[in-house]
Amino acid sequence: MYSFTKAAWSSVGKKIMTGVTGLALCVFIAEHLIANSLMFLGPDAFNAYTHKLTTMGGLLYALEGGLVLAFLLHAVTGISIWLNKRRARPQAYVSRLSSKGGASKQTFSSRTMIYTGLVLLVFIVVHLKTFKYGPNYETLVDGVRMRDLYRLVVEVFQSPAYAFGYVAVMALLGFHLRHGFWSAFQSLGVSHPRYVPIIYRFGILFAFVIALGFLVLPLWIYYGGGKV
Amino acid sequence: MKNMTLNLKIWRQPNAQSAGRFVSYTVQDISPDMSFLEMLDILNEQLAKKGDEPIEFDNDCREGICGMCSLVINGVPHGSQKGTATCQLHMRKFRDGQTITVEPWRARPFPVLKDLVVDRGALDRIMAAGGYVSCHVGAAVDANAVLIAKDMAEKAMDYAACIGCGACVAACPNASASLFVAAKIAQFAHLPQGQVERKERAIRMVEAMDELGFGDCSNHGECEAVCPKEISIASIALMRREYFKAAIS
Amino acid sequence: MKLDAKIPGGPLNEKWDNHKFDIKLVNPANKRKYTVLVVGTGLAGASAAASLAELGYNVLAFCVQDSPRRAHSIAAQGGINAAKNYPNDGDSIRRLFYDTIKGGDYRAREGNVYRLAQLSANIIDQCVAQGVPFAREYGGQLDNRSFGGAQVSRTFYARGQTGQQLLLGAYGSMMRQVAEGRVQMFPRREMLDLVVAGGKARGIVCRNLVTGEIEAYAGHAVLLCTGGYGNVYYLSTNAKNSNATAAWRCYKRGALFANPCFTQIHPTCIPVTGEHQSKLTLMSESLRNDGRVWVPKQTGDQRPPERIPEDERDYYLERKYPSFGNLVPRDVASRNAKSVCDEHRGVGESGLAVYLDFRDAIARLGEDTIRERYGNLFDMYERITDENPYRVPMRIYPAVHYTMGGLWVDYNLMSTIPGLHVLGEANFSDHGANRLGASALMQGLADGYFIIPYTLGHYLASTSFPAVSTDAPEFREAVGGVRATVDRMLSIKGKKTVLEFHRELGRIMWDYVGMSRTAKGLKKALQMIPRLREEFWQNVNIPSAPDQLNKNLEFAGRVADFMELGELMAIDALHRNESCGGHFREEYQTPEGEAKRDDKRFSYAAAWEFAGERKRPVLNKEPLTFENVKLSQRSYK
Ligand SMILES: Cc1cc2nc3c(=O)[nH]c(=O)nc-3n(C[C@H](O)[C@H](O)[C@H](O)COP(=O)(O)OP(=O)(O)OC[C@H]3O[C@@H](n4cnc5c(N)ncnc54)[C@H](O)[C@@H]3O)c2cc1C
Ligand code: HEM
Ligand code: HEM
Ligand code: SF4
Ligand code: F3S
Ligand code: FES
Repeated sequence: MYSFTKAAWSSVGKKIMTGVTGLALCVFIAEHLIANSLMFLGPDAFNAYTHKLTTMGGLLYALEGGLVLAFLLHAVTGISIWLNKRRARPQAYVSRLSSKGGASKQTFSSRTMIYTGLVLLVFIVVHLKTFKYGPNYETLVDGVRMRDLYRLVVEVFQSPAYAFGYVAVMALLGFHLRHGFWSAFQSLGVSHPRYVPIIYRFGILFAFVIALGFLVLPLWIYYGGGKV
Repeated sequence: MKNMTLNLKIWRQPNAQSAGRFVSYTVQDISPDMSFLEMLDILNEQLAKKGDEPIEFDNDCREGICGMCSLVINGVPHGSQKGTATCQLHMRKFRDGQTITVEPWRARPFPVLKDLVVDRGALDRIMAAGGYVSCHVGAAVDANAVLIAKDMAEKAMDYAACIGCGACVAACPNASASLFVAAKIAQFAHLPQGQVERKERAIRMVEAMDELGFGDCSNHGECEAVCPKEISIASIALMRREYFKAAIS
Repeated sequence: MKLDAKIPGGPLNEKWDNHKFDIKLVNPANKRKYTVLVVGTGLAGASAAASLAELGYNVLAFCVQDSPRRAHSIAAQGGINAAKNYPNDGDSIRRLFYDTIKGGDYRAREGNVYRLAQLSANIIDQCVAQGVPFAREYGGQLDNRSFGGAQVSRTFYARGQTGQQLLLGAYGSMMRQVAEGRVQMFPRREMLDLVVAGGKARGIVCRNLVTGEIEAYAGHAVLLCTGGYGNVYYLSTNAKNSNATAAWRCYKRGALFANPCFTQIHPTCIPVTGEHQSKLTLMSESLRNDGRVWVPKQTGDQRPPERIPEDERDYYLERKYPSFGNLVPRDVASRNAKSVCDEHRGVGESGLAVYLDFRDAIARLGEDTIRERYGNLFDMYERITDENPYRVPMRIYPAVHYTMGGLWVDYNLMSTIPGLHVLGEANFSDHGANRLGASALMQGLADGYFIIPYTLGHYLASTSFPAVSTDAPEFREAVGGVRATVDRMLSIKGKKTVLEFHRELGRIMWDYVGMSRTAKGLKKALQMIPRLREEFWQNVNIPSAPDQLNKNLEFAGRVADFMELGELMAIDALHRNESCGGHFREEYQTPEGEAKRDDKRFSYAAAWEFAGERKRPVLNKEPLTFENVKLSQRSYK
């Protein structure tokens, strides 16, 4: 068998990794959005759901471990691709390249993957600190003691900095996914002439729905929704 | 359409070691029926008459098949016309009084040799790594002993049409040679003759491309847009499948 | 000089087999001790380099372009002939042989042409094995089409890119040997002299086109695969870098140049638009399968084509040649186009064009079928002319396309200088006075894949080689000579550019040594060319320095050689007092205006020998004897 490390860190290997991890993150983010949407149904529904997750035990740790790995690998390969791109063209075009259009898939999104990605990286750290490792409020739902994340979220988004900061990041996430979604399929070798255009269009929709879905929550709370 | 006057901003660089810069020129009385390279010929004649150094640019067949011409014209490799190499671009695509910038291909594996001429030897080295079917001369079976479905042969031909110009590299924001490499891998993946070395070919060509210092592919698809043969980036997806299968077996 | 073509004895169909058995072999262990210099990497050069390296020889390959894959073979569109008889329409080796001999107007060697026809089938097998994506039928078998006047379908093709695909096959094989270390590739090198030591070709002198350095390479044999010299006309379908320089320097070192006046004019090219024109683009002649050629009946008719009613159109090929119609051979089609334009019935702005009309074919077959057959050609036409050939007829005009003449070689492809072998379009061997469409690709690959591996081995095995290095006096003399020529050209600092000289030469050649020639015109050319040459050496202007990339300098050298070759072409054309194939002398024609051969006096290959600067070259004749075909007047009525 061909050397695994060599294959993994080849130009193709790296793309397969960004693709796999990117799609995994897409699945996570979709799940996360659905979970967050439970907030619109009220504190109990949301808290109960998050509590249920914490009681999954080993499986949750495995999923979280996978998620961390996915984030790390995704960030490392993404950054490595970007570094390599800079090495591959030491003298930049002086007259600036412009896109020819037509078959090109080059967009503002595709050109800014590294920037939107790095913002997401910083965001994740802050985000985890704010919520997962944030103050531990407690509540009772149907007699069961559990963490009151609902309250935490609502408190956090009272602050305009948080609320609008999140809105901005969610918009960037949308851009990241606008190129990222279809790109992951291309990286994983999907080349069917009929499905690729469908995937491409679905990716735009996906990006839009994710960004919009995430961004209404902070706004809703900030403007008075979800008061306990 | 009447004849035009054009302002040109052309990259001049004495050799790989020295720095280059844009130099402005004006050409007059350019007929819309001229090709872009014929317009440059006229400029060069003017320069030669004045005893100035003509602008060096690569070209040979001037009919879009040898892949020798290059030039980034107003920021687009091979210029703005779809499916067209620079040598087949005609001046009727420009406006009277327009300013046109002309730059060489830029990528680390393509050092500038002089003015607009770059060294694309890296593409040959990739081909040497596996862009062929190994078969002895003279020992082949009858040509019709291998049957190939028409649509497979057509697909193989779509990919085989690559002229090796390197515009894909030049246009790629990452300076990746993925389309060039993938086109060859895809051609042979569609043909029975290519099966025996299928895995080795994918591994070796990708390895060579990486070692030569091309960038990675972020799926910008700009390569397909500028490719004079309009080769699809579906080949790049296919290359990844091929590589993956080869690497895990 | 007595020319011995070394055609093996025996019946036609056994000559090559017998010869292969009779020739000497090189011991496998010794092969790597031999260094072979292959100049040119087109179909002939790349296939030879790949085959020889595979056998174990140490090969050094050179080309002018930045990559061996860009040789002008890449531009061949139409296809390659082979006597496979897949369509079962009556083809055979003998028929391909016969068609080629007849197409060449009986000015080629029987032995060579028969061998070519025999090897044609192997070429297709070889190329398919390499993965060349030839066109297929629905059943998966190879598709064939009929081409350029052949009455059987024996042409294999890969869309309109046959040459490209064949060359990439050969190039791939060669690059495989590069990876193995058995071929060393030297791109951006121009061969500027041949080194003859001890009476044998032992090396070459090149200019490194990037650094300007003059470099010498030594070896045991030199294979010249440098293509044709159509660019002597300035405008031709050849690539800009196609040149005669390597062949010409070999001529000056003692190799004979045969039949230089045999040039092929291709009937279907896109017409010239103006003085700026830098090259001509061929439209594959397969277009004539469905397009109809016509001009207005009236002279000076300025109406657009759609306004000219049917009965005022002259479908002159169909009228004059009812059985072949639009599919007459190239020379006939070209000459007829010229003559209607000479009658002021030409079309387009310049009046130098005829229509190739697809209206009827589109009506009969539908636009989709036409698009499928010729889509890429139509697109190319539209890109260049900005006219849509689905709506308005194409305008076409003949252009210089191929040169049948070249360095004289024997059956082993060796020139009159021992060790100097010449392959592909650079030699004179197989096409006689006119080339059938789709046979040059065949010849280049036959030479490289199947002939030279045997005959070169024989030469190496039967020759003793004293050690020669690039320090030898012969090398130093050649390098010094090349440097001196470069310096001399640069020191002139005149007023006229290289391009101006080339254009002027081209005009003389086209007007007087072109499609139809007269003794008077040729004599005029023989006065004009030397005058132009004198002027060149006094008044050429080459800006910029020699020690860098300098295209003006490259072209100056080539144009200087073209001017000498052009003169030889005129001398040859003037001496050949007959018309045959691509050589049409107005004085020698049948009452119907067809080429009239004079087999009694001119059934020979004219091989010219260099006799010194400004001296008249010496004519050597290789008589052509025909034992297997009956000479007849070509008729395509
Ligand atoms: C537009 C066009 C279409 C054609 N279509 C067909 C067709 O359909 N069917 C057919 O059978 N034939 C066709 N022909 C003819 C055929 O393509 C050529 O005759 C054939 O390809 C010549 O091959 P070659 O290997 O001899 O030379 P080329 O392919 O011309 O190669 C010449 C090589 O020599 C090198 N070279 C030249 N000079 C020097 C030098 N001084 N020093 C170092 N290297 C040098 C070049 O770099 C190049 O590598 C066509 C020709 C043209 C121009
Ligand atoms: C941790 C922070 C992140 C960083 C640094 C980052 C960075 C990147 C970069 C640079 C790319 C482009 C790779 C290339 O150029 O080929 C990329 C692609 C991608 N990213 Fe991210 N990203 C991050 C987070 C995310 C998240 C949270 C998601 C999903 C919700 C995501 C989904 C994707 C997808 C689907 C792709 C396309 C993968 C491919 O082309 O194969 N990324 N990322
Ligand atoms: C409005 C937007 C968002 C809200 C309100 C939100 C809310 C939350 C909350 C409450 C948690 C804690 C869950 C727990 O500890 O069980 C959490 C965890 C997390 N969030 Fe978000 N989130 C948002 C957007 C995002 C985005 C865009 C990303 C990724 C790019 C993200 C990634 C994560 C991750 C990785 C965790 C940790 C999951 C785990 O440990 O199981 N979140 N989020
Ligand atoms: S893939 Fe297209 S752009 Fe790239 S080298 Fe080939 S022909 Fe040129
Ligand atoms: S433009 Fe570049 S990023 Fe990939 S799809 Fe083409 S190689
Ligand atoms: S010069 Fe040959 S492709 Fe442009």
